[in-house]
Amino acid sequence: MDFLQYILAFNSESPLLFTQFYFWAFFALVYALFALLLSLPFGKGSGLGSPYKKLHLRNIYLMFVSWFFYYKTSGLFLLILAFVTLSDWIIAGRIKSAISHHKPQIAKGLLCLSVIIDLGLLAYFKYAYFFTNMVNDLFGTGFRVFDIFAYIGNGFAEAGRFSVDTIVLPVGISFYIFQVISYTVDVYRGRIQPVKNILDFGFYVSFFPQLVAGPIVRAEEFIPQLYKPFHLSRRVFGIAVFWILNGLAKKIIMSDFLAVNLIDRVFNNPLLFSGFENLFALFAYSLQVYADFSGYSDIAIGLAMLMGFYLPMNFNSPYKSQSPQEFWRRWHMSLGRWLKGYLYIPLGGNRKIGFGTYFWLSLIAFVSAALTNWWWQILVPFALFMLVVAVINSAPFRERWGTGFYKLLYSNLNSFITQVLGGLWHGASWNFIIWGGINGIGMIVEKIWRKMNWHLRFLSITVLTFGLMALDYFYALPVWRLFLVWSAIIWIGTAIRYVYWLITQDMTINCQLSIINSKLSKAWAILQTFTFITFTRLFFRSSSNLDPATANEVAWETARNMVNQIGGAWNNAIIPEFLWAYKYVVAMFVAGMLIHWLPTNWKRRYRLAFSAMPLWLMVIVVCLAIVVIYQFVTAEMQPFIYFQF
Amino acid sequence: MKPYQVLIFIACVMAGLATLCVVLPGRIALGATELKWPALTEVLGIQKTPDTIIPMDTIAQLDTLLTPDTVVQQEQTLSPAIVKADSIAPQKEDNCQLSTVNYQLSESDSRIYLSSFYASLSQSGKQVVRVLHYGDSQIEEDRMTQQIREALQDRYGGSGVGLMPLAQTIPSRTVKQQLHMNGRQIQPAQGPRRFIVYGPKRDRRDDGLYGVMGQVAVMNDSLVPGSEKLMAVCTPQDPKNRYSKWQVLADSAIQYSFSRDTVFLSGKGNVYGLSQESDTGMIVDNIPMRGCLGLVFTKMDSAQLADFYREQNVRLIILQFGGNAIPFNETPSTIQGIVRGLRKQVQYLRMLAPEASFLFIGPSDMLTQIDGVWQTYPMVPYMDRLLQQMAQDEQIAYFSLYRWMGGSGSMAKWQEAGLAGEDGIHFMRSGARKAGNAVAKWILEGIESE
Repeated sequence: MDFLQYILAFNSESPLLFTQFYFWAFFALVYALFALLLSLPFGKGSGLGSPYKKLHLRNIYLMFVSWFFYYKTSGLFLLILAFVTLSDWIIAGRIKSAISHHKPQIAKGLLCLSVIIDLGLLAYFKYAYFFTNMVNDLFGTGFRVFDIFAYIGNGFAEAGRFSVDTIVLPVGISFYIFQVISYTVDVYRGRIQPVKNILDFGFYVSFFPQLVAGPIVRAEEFIPQLYKPFHLSRRVFGIAVFWILNGLAKKIIMSDFLAVNLIDRVFNNPLLFSGFENLFALFAYSLQVYADFSGYSDIAIGLAMLMGFYLPMNFNSPYKSQSPQEFWRRWHMSLGRWLKGYLYIPLGGNRKIGFGTYFWLSLIAFVSAALTNWWWQILVPFALFMLVVAVINSAPFRERWGTGFYKLLYSNLNSFITQVLGGLWHGASWNFIIWGGINGIGMIVEKIWRKMNWHLRFLSITVLTFGLMALDYFYALPVWRLFLVWSAIIWIGTAIRYVYWLITQDMTINCQLSIINSKLSKAWAILQTFTFITFTRLFFRSSSNLDPATANEVAWETARNMVNQIGGAWNNAIIPEFLWAYKYVVAMFVAGMLIHWLPTNWKRRYRLAFSAMPLWLMVIVVCLAIVVIYQFVTAEMQPFIYFQF
Repeated sequence: MKPYQVLIFIACVMAGLATLCVVLPGRIALGATELKWPALTEVLGIQKTPDTIIPMDTIAQLDTLLTPDTVVQQEQTLSPAIVKADSIAPQKEDNCQLSTVNYQLSESDSRIYLSSFYASLSQSGKQVVRVLHYGDSQIEEDRMTQQIREALQDRYGGSGVGLMPLAQTIPSRTVKQQLHMNGRQIQPAQGPRRFIVYGPKRDRRDDGLYGVMGQVAVMNDSLVPGSEKLMAVCTPQDPKNRYSKWQVLADSAIQYSFSRDTVFLSGKGNVYGLSQESDTGMIVDNIPMRGCLGLVFTKMDSAQLADFYREQNVRLIILQFGGNAIPFNETPSTIQGIVRGLRKQVQYLRMLAPEASFLFIGPSDMLTQIDGVWQTYPMVPYMDRLLQQMAQDEQIAYFSLYRWMGGSGSMAKWQEAGLAGEDGIHFMRSGARKAGNAVAKWILEGIESE
């Protein structure tokens, strides 16, 4: 009985995770029934019904399996998933009907209703603490969150069964809410037809490989697959197995091993470690976040492939990006595409700015002022900025200045908003907003930098470096030292390229020299982008086991302490000692980055080579790979060693 | 491929792995390395506990009769109390009632060794009564000490945070320091050369003159005498920590003056520390020694220490060490060696501070991953008991942080409650506050029960 309860009932301490044996046993069982179902002879004369019925049954089966998976992970929050499934399915159907009857206002109203319901639920579960704290901070009130769902639940169950004082975030809500929004909006836009059967739709919303951690599947990408029969070529099968192994290795070797042995302890207490250790941990954290998240996505993509479904690519070697803008096209691509399609473009993209742009910018400025308590310092310049934007956006100016300028302006403003709101999507705390904001600013600065000619680039970086040098001399704050070192590195790179440009601008350049220059420039851009993205990670980490106010405080303090150490507690003498003592961690990091930076063609080749293996050999390779991965699960921990005293 | 073919593939992989579980369970030596693979029972969750590394050998030349086995047995006999403490640990700090369950049974007696300190508290209205809190990284940033200080100063008067180094390389939560040299602000690392008794060899000196904090800053060490002029602005972060006087512990060649929160220093020589304090009442000094086992006191100049302890009326010395021994020592014999070393340190300090009482705070619960599972280092309970035994033999008070937290595995509960960090070793600020309050309360309760 206990065993059955362990297998079937929700237990918050043992969710179904891709890295656990229980999940794979679950998947094997699910697949066995899946295979049995698909081998049934549906079709004319079989007595079982049409081939469509088989697809329908497959979808229903996978939906219930997915619901069980979600129940094991999140318990009664399954009801929330069921509710948004029902709500969006009904509303999308009504929208289609309103459009067919030429009632666009009703369709728009229904779309708004759906978005309000979906975002309302997300806001309630994910942002209730955040907004409550913000209101309390602003107005000195003492509001506390109240879990209305727990209250209702207590009405049905025995009193006090659910706590009304805390709101627990349902797993994966940020992902499936975005999926249902994409469905309703796509129906409204006429890009897809509404799904006739609610169970088919339920399958789209809850498909278990991507339910809790993405990729976020847009309706127009997935809904058509609901009606396609199972097809899995031999090569795709091999690729699917490869993705699963690749994901497991990333998650356990590159992510968990690095986290447990170095990153967690440094982020937990940066002051215990020297500047170099902090910097190393920060870069390693960049790799860890990527390996963790993309590892999960790889496994999800592989699992879906084995069942004949294709999920979108979610990461495309993001640390190969040569600019922050490119990074966001390679990192968490399904979210990037979602935000572009359902936020950036509706805001106006690079075509226009409208009420939405002004509204969101004003809100961001207001929130920033509230956060820092720098009311007039932020709001006055912001008001002036908005005034300037409004003036230059007026018709007379628009006619005078070219469209290129306006495209840049519109795109910068709208992508900044997208970045900040994208930051908020990652977590309900200030540090994620700051993180999004820094990314937005970085993107804008890089775009402007690329528009500059070499004279201006060299001049601006020189002025910046000297300014930081003066600041560092008179006010030796770690943050100035940090910026100064970075700025000086950029200055050196810029100076070399500036001199090269001065020498070669009027010359016919040797082809080989040009190729070398191009490759060096590319490597330089990749390193600078990777460094920038890594430093934004200072604000990306937040403890989930703390209450939001404390989590904010801890995240901010961690970032500040890391900057203090990197900019103020540098000690070259201990670098070799550290590298030797942490040699396995360092080797893993270096190996991870080198693999990441392998040319795309090489990666494709070894993926294909793997998929072309004879099946018996593939079984052996998979078993050996799992044995190797297990060694990292059970590896002895790197002991604490202090270098900085 | 057909779905059944995929299914066969999955079955083959599982069968292959299961075969390995049957053929190669446990640890397999492969040259210098060791390959690990679980048994089937472990995979299926029938046998969930991985191997522990608790050694089973008996210990012949032990100061005490304790062995890891008996420690484990004693842990089990204390289970009701431990369960009670466990149930308290995960709650948020504000909702917590501090537990004194375990040590009421076995350790409350040790507070009788604080009698001399308790008696000295009556002097606090007329003079300073000083408490030194030496410890490892667990007390950095004034963690735990702050709560002990607040509790004692609330009841027996006194103000100021006490000692701090000239260059605060590790920030404190209670005093913010800014350092200026020759008119411009510098970072602590850019300040005078430091020697640290608990640091690496390159940071140590031969003469043992480290001062009471175990670290010394040498002004104008290699420059033209008098070229370095330092200004340290030390601002208390809480109005409660306002102080009435400065004290500079330095060689006579160092000239200094004060202006509010700022101290100006010039000259050539050693600076052992600065102190913000009051004329009477309790002064509680936070002296963190990162990475230190606590075996360094005998390397410090005895006359210097003895003078300080006597002149400054040091009446309680708290030693909080042991944690740094755990990750590097997996056998009882090495732990015994360290505890023997600590015993010598206690004897040495008692000789230098005959008027002082001593309190030893043992290590907290500490977690490591063993075969992929987070669990308490096997040596933590053993060390805790050995330290307790040592304290009893030396007639000093002992506070078991490990058992107060709830015993084996309690650190994981602290992590869940946001009281401890992900490293499984260090407290978060809230956890340190809770632990500091517990120690303070325990000390004060001893006074009431006197």
